[in-house]
Amino acid sequence: MHFPMNNEKILSDLEEIVGKDFASNKKEELFIYSLDPGASLPREVDYVVMPKSVEEVQKVVQLANKEGIPIVPMGGGLTLSGLVLPVHGGIVLDMKRMDNIIEINEMSKYALIEAGVTTGHLLSYLNENYPNLQPPVPDAPSAATVAGNVLIHGSGYLSQKYGDHGAMINGLEVVLPNGDICKIGSCSLSDYWFTRGPIPDLIGLFTSSFGTLGIVTKLSVKLYYKPKFRDVVFGLAANFDEIPNILSKVTESGLAEDVLLGMQDKPDWMKGYIFVIVYVTGESKDEIDANTKILKKIYRKTNARYMKTPPRIREIYMEKPIFAATAADFRKGGGFEYVGAFLPIENLPEAFRGGAEISKKYGIVPTIGSRLIGQTHSIMVFFTYSFNRADPDDMENARNALHETNLLALELGGIPWKAELAGQKLILDKMDPNFKKLFKSIRDTLDPNHIMNPGNWEVE
Amino acid sequence: MTVQTEKDWKDIIHRCFRCGYCKFTHDYSDFNCPSYNKFRFETYSTGGRLWLAFGAINGDIEWSEGLANVLYACPTCGNCMENCRFDKFNFMLVDFIEAARAEANKQGFCPENQKFLLERTTNETYFNPYAEKNSDNEDLKKQFDLPDEAEWVYFIGCTSNYRQKNLRDATLRFLKKAGVDFTLIDEHCCTSPLLRTGQLSPVKDFMNYNIQKIKEAGASKVITSCAGCYRTLKNDFAKHDAEHDLEIIHTSELILQLLKEEKLKFNSEFNKTVTYHDPCHLGRHSGLYEEPREVYKKIPGLELKEMKRNRENAWCCGAGGGVKIGYPDWSIEISKERLEEAQETGATIISSTCPFCRTNLSDANKAFDMGFEVLDLVEIIDQLDYEVIKE
Repeated sequence: MHFPMNNEKILSDLEEIVGKDFASNKKEELFIYSLDPGASLPREVDYVVMPKSVEEVQKVVQLANKEGIPIVPMGGGLTLSGLVLPVHGGIVLDMKRMDNIIEINEMSKYALIEAGVTTGHLLSYLNENYPNLQPPVPDAPSAATVAGNVLIHGSGYLSQKYGDHGAMINGLEVVLPNGDICKIGSCSLSDYWFTRGPIPDLIGLFTSSFGTLGIVTKLSVKLYYKPKFRDVVFGLAANFDEIPNILSKVTESGLAEDVLLGMQDKPDWMKGYIFVIVYVTGESKDEIDANTKILKKIYRKTNARYMKTPPRIREIYMEKPIFAATAADFRKGGGFEYVGAFLPIENLPEAFRGGAEISKKYGIVPTIGSRLIGQTHSIMVFFTYSFNRADPDDMENARNALHETNLLALELGGIPWKAELAGQKLILDKMDPNFKKLFKSIRDTLDPNHIMNPGNWEVE
Repeated sequence: MTVQTEKDWKDIIHRCFRCGYCKFTHDYSDFNCPSYNKFRFETYSTGGRLWLAFGAINGDIEWSEGLANVLYACPTCGNCMENCRFDKFNFMLVDFIEAARAEANKQGFCPENQKFLLERTTNETYFNPYAEKNSDNEDLKKQFDLPDEAEWVYFIGCTSNYRQKNLRDATLRFLKKAGVDFTLIDEHCCTSPLLRTGQLSPVKDFMNYNIQKIKEAGASKVITSCAGCYRTLKNDFAKHDAEHDLEIIHTSELILQLLKEEKLKFNSEFNKTVTYHDPCHLGRHSGLYEEPREVYKKIPGLELKEMKRNRENAWCCGAGGGVKIGYPDWSIEISKERLEEAQETGATIISSTCPFCRTNLSDANKAFDMGFEVLDLVEIIDQLDYEVIKE
């Protein structure tokens, strides 16, 4: 299925819904929305539409349904894995005009926001108005949307202590493929968007389903108390096999707000080590010092080494979010993509070794990092491949490395996160047939005309 | 590295990752890119523009009027340079946009309104973008009793000379009173409007003409009250191989120097609340943030209140980059947002150090009946009783 380009009647209908300035089939818009910053090849877009309200989203969905036009919701467009590039053309629904922070509930600690609010905007708003609260912040640039992050099962700051960001959703307002506006979570029966249960938990249907089951227009995310002091304590481990034990001991101490791992072969002094980066918090400087002392002891006991943090490094890591996109300029090429795989922690050493081998095979400096999610219940490992956007061969090289890494993650019992189309196929190939059957039947029921981001999570 | 040669900018432009930092203020509290804020499609972010330009260079998308319109719908305020995190090339982002405009122009897609800038400036009757008969400034020299040769040249700039004469005359009065040994030249446009809109064909000749005239006047220093001329003379001449060894000074720098040397004494007060609007040409493009502020703070009675977005985070007035002539309605909408921000400070005066900002803020003030008094720093000083102790 591919919808014909430049249908002026449809454009005029879309303009009628969202206003003339916010529906476009101009070549410039179609070009920009056919590309994302990752290594995916461009995919054609027919219309770009920017709604301002749930009613406008509803009307766009109704129109798309009537005309059989594919529709792809988009937040910040920063998944890097092409999830907002339409596989079969159609409408890209850029949600960023729906950018209201509707309510901050200080006592029940949640933010009710529209789907286009960026992670940067929410963070800044809380810093200014509710400095004792902090939101889930991904490692992505601040132009990522909160909705985009939590709906792709994102992770980031606070994930060690409180779990993945998808788990921090309290409630959703969703436009279903038939145009119904549906509230899910406590908001379906209460004015308070404070919890997702105890009723059938349907929020999960909309996480990591990449817009195939509906378009989220409003959401409540959990907020957390922000301790007065925060610091970062670095450890160095030369033996990959020690890492799961180090992480266990660190998390068992209860001191870590977040834990990151980093390994890269450049600059040379970093080669051969895994950096353990633990964020500690407290209500006083003394508490931070005391917690740091305990962590030093843990490092010592687990054959790691405490590393005094150079001020420049500390500054980089204390920024929230850190500037992770720096990898885009490693090859002076403006591009990087990574496989972010959720793995069982015991297979972490093998993942680091295997990832480094793959990087070397493809001529890319090994750059692997990890973020603990929910203590040691799982760990997200990101295998990063930088490429030169101006060199098609280099981009293909990165795609091949990504593919091989997806295979590695699956072999190690892991799951590639926000996988690109090829990765999705690998996951589906390995998946329990009855899981696939269930997912397909849900999708067919909700979206009989198959207009919602078709091509993604396609069960044969 | 510069973007002088085609090769340079075309070799770098793909390094933009389109991460989106360019749209924000430093603390992400707001979108600070006037173009993205208005149009909202990703196309209209700096990243979008660079990717479009890269696509056009690569042949992935054709040069077209629509593509050129995207490139030109940007006041080149430089917010993107401040907030882009890639420090190997972030300082060149506006240069990239200007280079892409030059390329669009070469391909025959300069928007009609911007073409007027070139037509008027190269017209030998005008030599300025306002289509005003060129003033050789001889009358002003007589009026202010200025010599033919002097250590300093006051480079008036087209906007002050043809649109903001009060600002020009206030500057002339100040320089006279300060005892500065200065003169005027038969200046032609500094080329800022042409550089910003990618119409480069006459630029080098204009630059060399102005340098020659300044040299003929025996000057080694050039003072200007125009932020656009300041940036162009100080930064852009060299980029276009119009090398000179002239010292370029903005009026606010001279005033501050005189205050610091305790040569300038105010004998009256200016009992009003003022908010200062950073001109992009002077601030983000030239790094002068504190000098004007220090002057305001030293004026007796004057209360300086900062707008929420200031210095590197200042919201643009919307006049620059060819936007004033290309998108006049949008241009004053941008200024309106600035005036609304100024209202939050409680100030009754919005002041700047650029005649082009002054023009656009005044236009918006009038169009939207915002009730401000819009004054340049020099115009405020001109209202005071002051003396300058001469050496």
